Amino acid sequence: MKDKILGPEIIKVEHLVKKFGHVVAVNDVSFNVRQGEVLVIIGPSGSGKSTTLRCLNYLERPDGGRIVIDNIELTHEQTDINAVRAEVGMVFQQFNLFPHLTALENVTLAQRIVRKRSKEEAEKIAMELLEKVGIPDKADSYPAQLSGGQQQRVAIARALAMQPKIMLFDEPTSALDPEMIKEVLDVMLELAEEGMTMVVVSHEMGFVKAAADRILFMDAGKIVEETTPTELFTAPKEERTREFLSKILH
Amino acid sequence: MLSETESKGKLLPISFENTPWWALILVVLILAAATAAFFSPIYQDTVEFLLAGVKITIFLTVVAYALALVLGLLAGLGRVSKNPILYTLGTLYVEIIRGIPLLVLLLYIGYVIAPPMHIRNLMTRGILGLGIGYGAYLAEVFRAGIESIGKGQMEAARSLGMSYSQAMRYVILPQAFRTILPPLGNNLVAMLKDTSLVSVLSIRDLTYLGRLNVARTFRTFATWNMVALMYLVMTIGLSLLVRWVEKKTSFERR
Repeated sequence: MKDKILGPEIIKVEHLVKKFGHVVAVNDVSFNVRQGEVLVIIGPSGSGKSTTLRCLNYLERPDGGRIVIDNIELTHEQTDINAVRAEVGMVFQQFNLFPHLTALENVTLAQRIVRKRSKEEAEKIAMELLEKVGIPDKADSYPAQLSGGQQQRVAIARALAMQPKIMLFDEPTSALDPEMIKEVLDVMLELAEEGMTMVVVSHEMGFVKAAADRILFMDAGKIVEETTPTELFTAPKEERTREFLSKILH
Repeated sequence: MLSETESKGKLLPISFENTPWWALILVVLILAAATAAFFSPIYQDTVEFLLAGVKITIFLTVVAYALALVLGLLAGLGRVSKNPILYTLGTLYVEIIRGIPLLVLLLYIGYVIAPPMHIRNLMTRGILGLGIGYGAYLAEVFRAGIESIGKGQMEAARSLGMSYSQAMRYVILPQAFRTILPPLGNNLVAMLKDTSLVSVLSIRDLTYLGRLNVARTFRTFATWNMVALMYLVMTIGLSLLVRWVEKKTSFERR
């Protein structure tokens, strides 16, 4: 699985800058992601990793630099940002399921109003995806009736229903009880094996070992080190990376 | 085991403290008044005369509230909008209208704004005044409701490719609506009472007919007794209806 063939570059980030008031959250960050690649961004809190990820679908508007996704420049004025977002799935730390809709309706809503699919078609796709994430029996449950792990799996199904070319994961397991982390990671691993392009902000080293093709270590808004899983665990180059790893690997 | 003995010890399905005594007292009062109205020819005559006003009051409430809902939603959306023009328009409307007493607003719309616009129908003037006045309060209710929905909901909807207005319509507003149902209901009841102010525009609502009846018969006591009672019956009926709707809509969320 490690020697999978990667496609052309689908995400290009050049000199990305994002400020919140006077605080520079992301400071001149550049990286590329190739089709089918799984990129994991790690780093201490406040290092700008989530902000970088959120810039990739324009939930944060960059203050400088260029972002090109699938040959469409996000940072260009005329770009239809909604059209790009439909191609980029996002999974949030807090799941953000729509609490007034059932699991099935959560997965069908955007299909129907963005992709303009018929009710039957959207529901068929939704059921397939709920089966894929292992909870077809919860289709008619409301989010409040689901466990955290189940909610996050519905959220993944909801994003996949748009048939995105890229999936972004913003600390998808950080809000979960320990015994639910695995069920979400298993779904993510399956996606990685199917060749989905993924950018993941996570500290799940199990996932990093099993699925990451490349790792960015960020600190204070900058990329400190770019490495592979093998290198990261055996011989991290930078002192800052070593220090961070010693704290999260017990 | 415990629950069994507990339920055996109870004689009534509800305990003394949980009995809605206020409702019972009200029912008794209303029944007493209704009996008086039924047997006394003076009250019968008064009720007969006032009933036309009740119809006008209910009609005013329904139509003006519908107008207020539309205006309130539009202004509320403007208040949460990032567009500076929409925000300014919404805020201007809310701040101006909320700063003017409703009675003055009714007189102003009825006698200053309506005549040059050739709005001659008195009811239309009253509906405009009440609707515009309450729209400003409902705008703040809508704004608070929309802001009570977490930022993550809008982000999740947008990340799926929905536009801002699609996210509002399908994700934010349906949730906000449930949160603001109680204040919306309170405002409906408050508006029903405030329709009494339109009598200054010579609209023949319940209060206006009350004054007319006093002038006609000099039966001050009987007339205002019945006017107050009729308002009370309407507001309590409406409150109960609002509560029922609230229970209905909050239930399916569990």
